[in-house]
Amino acid sequence: MDMTRRAALRTSAAIASSVLFPMRSFGQETPRRGGVFTVHYGAEQRQLNPSLQASTGVYIIGGKIQEQLVDLDAKGQPVGVLAESWEAAPDGRTITFKLRSGVTWHDGKPFTSADVQFTAMEMWKKILNYGTTLQLFLTAVDTPDPLTAVFRYERPMPLNLLLRALPDLGYVSPRHLYEGKGDIRQNPVNLAPVGTGPFRFVQYERGQHVIAERNPNYWRANAPYLDRIVWRVVTDRAAAAAQMEAGQIHYSPFSGLTISDSARLGKDPRFIVSTKGNEGNARTNTIEFNFRRKELADIRVRRAIAHALDIPFFIENFLGDFAKRGTGPIPSVSTDFYPADNGPQYPFDKKLAASLLDEAGLKPGAGGTRFSLRLLPAPWGEDITLFATFIQQSLADVGIKVEIVRTDGGGYLKQVYDEHAFDLATGWHQYRNDPAVSTTVWYRSGQPKGAPWTNQWGWTDPAIDKIIDDAATEVDPARRKALYGDFVRRANTELPIWTPIEQIFLTAISAKARNHSNTPRWGSSSWHDLWLAE
Amino acid sequence: MDLVKRYLRSPAAVIGLLLLVLVLAMAATADLFYPRDPLALAGRPLIWPFSNPRFLLGTDNSGRDIAAQIFHGARISLLIGGVATAISIMIGITIGAFAGYYGAFVDTALMRVTEAFQTLPNFLLLLVLVAVFGSTLTTVTIAIGIVSWPASARLTRAEFLSLRNREFVQAGRTLGLRDARLIFGEILPNALPPVIVYASVVMAIAILLESALAFLKLSDPNVASWGNLIGAGRDVLRVQWYVSAIPGIAILITVLAVSLVGQGLNDALNPRLKRR
Amino acid sequence: MRVLTLAGRRLAASIPTLILILVGVFLLLQLAPGDTVDALMAQMGGGDAATARQLREFYGLDLSVWAQLGNYLWRLVRLDLGFSAIYGKPVATVIAERLPATILLMTASLSFAFFFGLLLGVVAARGVNKWPDTLISTLGLMFYAMPTFWFGLMAIVVFSIYLQWLPAGGFEDITVSYTGLRRTLDIALHLILPTLTLGLFYMAIYLRIMRGSMLEVLNLDFVRTARSKGMDETRVVVRHVLRNALLPMVTLIGLQAGTMLGGSVVVESVFSLPGLGRLAYESVIQRDLNTLLGIIFVSALLVIAVNFIVDLLYARLDPRITAGS
Repeated sequence: MDMTRRAALRTSAAIASSVLFPMRSFGQETPRRGGVFTVHYGAEQRQLNPSLQASTGVYIIGGKIQEQLVDLDAKGQPVGVLAESWEAAPDGRTITFKLRSGVTWHDGKPFTSADVQFTAMEMWKKILNYGTTLQLFLTAVDTPDPLTAVFRYERPMPLNLLLRALPDLGYVSPRHLYEGKGDIRQNPVNLAPVGTGPFRFVQYERGQHVIAERNPNYWRANAPYLDRIVWRVVTDRAAAAAQMEAGQIHYSPFSGLTISDSARLGKDPRFIVSTKGNEGNARTNTIEFNFRRKELADIRVRRAIAHALDIPFFIENFLGDFAKRGTGPIPSVSTDFYPADNGPQYPFDKKLAASLLDEAGLKPGAGGTRFSLRLLPAPWGEDITLFATFIQQSLADVGIKVEIVRTDGGGYLKQVYDEHAFDLATGWHQYRNDPAVSTTVWYRSGQPKGAPWTNQWGWTDPAIDKIIDDAATEVDPARRKALYGDFVRRANTELPIWTPIEQIFLTAISAKARNHSNTPRWGSSSWHDLWLAE
Repeated sequence: MDLVKRYLRSPAAVIGLLLLVLVLAMAATADLFYPRDPLALAGRPLIWPFSNPRFLLGTDNSGRDIAAQIFHGARISLLIGGVATAISIMIGITIGAFAGYYGAFVDTALMRVTEAFQTLPNFLLLLVLVAVFGSTLTTVTIAIGIVSWPASARLTRAEFLSLRNREFVQAGRTLGLRDARLIFGEILPNALPPVIVYASVVMAIAILLESALAFLKLSDPNVASWGNLIGAGRDVLRVQWYVSAIPGIAILITVLAVSLVGQGLNDALNPRLKRR
Repeated sequence: MRVLTLAGRRLAASIPTLILILVGVFLLLQLAPGDTVDALMAQMGGGDAATARQLREFYGLDLSVWAQLGNYLWRLVRLDLGFSAIYGKPVATVIAERLPATILLMTASLSFAFFFGLLLGVVAARGVNKWPDTLISTLGLMFYAMPTFWFGLMAIVVFSIYLQWLPAGGFEDITVSYTGLRRTLDIALHLILPTLTLGLFYMAIYLRIMRGSMLEVLNLDFVRTARSKGMDETRVVVRHVLRNALLPMVTLIGLQAGTMLGGSVVVESVFSLPGLGRLAYESVIQRDLNTLLGIIFVSALLVIAVNFIVDLLYARLDPRITAGS
């Protein structure tokens, strides 16, 4: 009974790694047809169409029903789904996709380039979050024949950026169910999606469950194996763990369980708890500094705060072995962009922190307090709450009094990104396979006030702006990678935000599942080869 | 003296008083026994109670000493309970007094407002208030006061309705006393006892409301509140259930103490009220 | 017919209160940090400035507060509760989906509290100052002083985790699609712990009142006479005592209908029940104004209806009072 969390997490990590790649050991098994796969669905969304909304809460369902042009394979490289091949013109302004033939929508209509054209111009470019930024310079999609789609850009579009973004931002919707049917956002199809994927939508009872069934006309031969997928809506994470143990749920994606329950299930041979299959969903815990506070505008104070936090201690005692020390805005799982040299790191050194604060003229006053700060933790997860408390506790040790301001999601975004009513904020930065998708906006100046997850720190740096702009239109992959190395080193030197912890979402899945966690964004992928053993 | 004697005659009231003294003693000695910040990192997270002599009641999932939080939490609960009750009773008395004294249009208007507050589920209004004004100790306390006044307003109003035509009030009127003087100087002192007794009910509810808010993670995270501890413990409930269980018992004892004392006071005061 | 007229009159009299509540909450929520688009962006976990701007236009949040309020009230006059920003359907539909669970929970808890409060109250009063009374009164006090959600959590630890007798949450088991009686049984099983959690507090109150009234009535002259005449004690209790004691209990139900709805917010959250209380909590967090106002409207109607029924009951129990006055 009396087992510390640290020990518990250790053990579970050991077990998790020993059962890693379970499909290898079961390689000889013949896939079994049939069965109902049940999934923990924690955060209901307003709609289910992934062409309109980029979030894991949509992919976990819509990603089985609709498909994208390109997905990532087991090695994290782009692999065609609805597109069979692609080619970029030398000037980077034209990218041509050859589409798969013989694919039909769930309602029987054929899938053609007209669907791609409509989705790209009306959904990705106009509505889809991050899509609007990615496709800002998309001027047209030409359809010379039903199986060719030609994307035309006003400015050069790096092919590897587009291919890395499309797995998330490249889902295609059926034109014939949207065109001329009124406002796209209000279309009832969004809550009963129609796609080309391995599973067909059956039913959505809000607050209770979503059901999809096997698509008998799926274009991949012999796929899928499952009869049905049922997503059970369970908002209480402890309850979700209980249902997994009772056999009512097979799979809880995206760190859907509490840290302690994940550790506990990891020790249970009926389950596999691991980060595998989520490499495409890396995130870093952040500390954002508001430069409008004159103390924080001083680089010495920001560095002192970084030095005051014993990150390895926090990770070891609170997060377990599934988290690791973060090195910068680009996480280490990003094989294409992770730089060899990340620039300055800030190891735990309380003395150095204190002397930096002294140097900045912030001497301790009565009761040892130098100054006070308001910290806004984002309400996204348990680890953020724990980290906020840890920041409060650690900074008190160097004479900085921290007041934690508790908010809900809407209030957090409003107060941090619009009203700038914070001194410190802490949350997650989600890395989306290419720094240009959602990382560089955290650093680039000139972001409109109120735009969430962008540079609203009151910090402007022409040097980093130039690096970011050059990289965004650089078509040579090697030069792009080098530019992002500069970007990381600059970010770590100036420290407008600090990214001290790197985490990958945890998956908890029944040991009966086969062919799972075999791609870097497996939770979001189509599960066409997933099957359940007896 | 008579009152004290009557109060002490009831064993339940005496037990209540003892429990209340216990909670007050915890609040008073918190700094003595646990001089460190109760929210500071004390040790490894999730140490079981009685397994480490340094942490008698163990540590929570943030590595904070549970015993320290229980002691310091007594202050917070009593503070929130006390101040919210004072606010609630003050609003209630003012509105009830004016409604009962003036009657007619003033009464109708004020009772409409009271009715509106009673029709709206009070916890729902509390959620809205906290979402709007934020989760600090001050706003939470005021918000609890704001949602719990209607019953005391009705009580005061009823007392005023029965008192406003009594002889001593009539006498005051003929002497030309101003309304404010009559309301607060003459009638109120006579209308007060049942309202004061009712205050114990308000205080009990106030403490429970704060803990419910904290459980939904909507209370002030910068203070060691029992409700916050229960809310934090929810994440580790399946194995380390003690994190939630211990502060729950503390709340139970406090609310029990307040209720028993209120009940005892009521019983002790009752004969006098009847005599009046 | 008379009842319908009375109901209509009662409803008409409550209209100013209703409007006061709706306008009050509407204006209050305008002061909240962030709007439904901020909440939506938070829910999506990512988004850019253009998306936010478009969504604001789409939900009519770029209009002035007074224009929005005017629109809302005008729609309400036509009995249209509007469209929910979070759920993407009409608010009336969203509420209709969530209402059954809450009504079921409240009815079950109220019945439980009423029945057991009555029973235990009678037992306690008849054995006044003996051990059954002491035991029942002490338990009653404990239930009264216990935070409801804490009882729920502890009940989960004991009954769902250790003993594994009852489900830890949810409304029904959806992996196996039961029908008919089996389904009713399944739902009942899921509702046992939530009902206890929500009901025990009220049971404690009813118990106290019942015990008090019983003691008072048992000492009245006519009851003493009846007893001395050798009337069967049970009949005395039923005929005289119960009738008198029921009055304050029934009154209390009316007063507590609103409180109970508030309490279901926490209980539904502990047991992840798809009810109105959790919907209310979510719509506050999501700043889904239309849904929140819709819930407030419906729950206010519910409270008014319960009070109306209480008045009717009252008139039946006590012939001196007529429901009209």
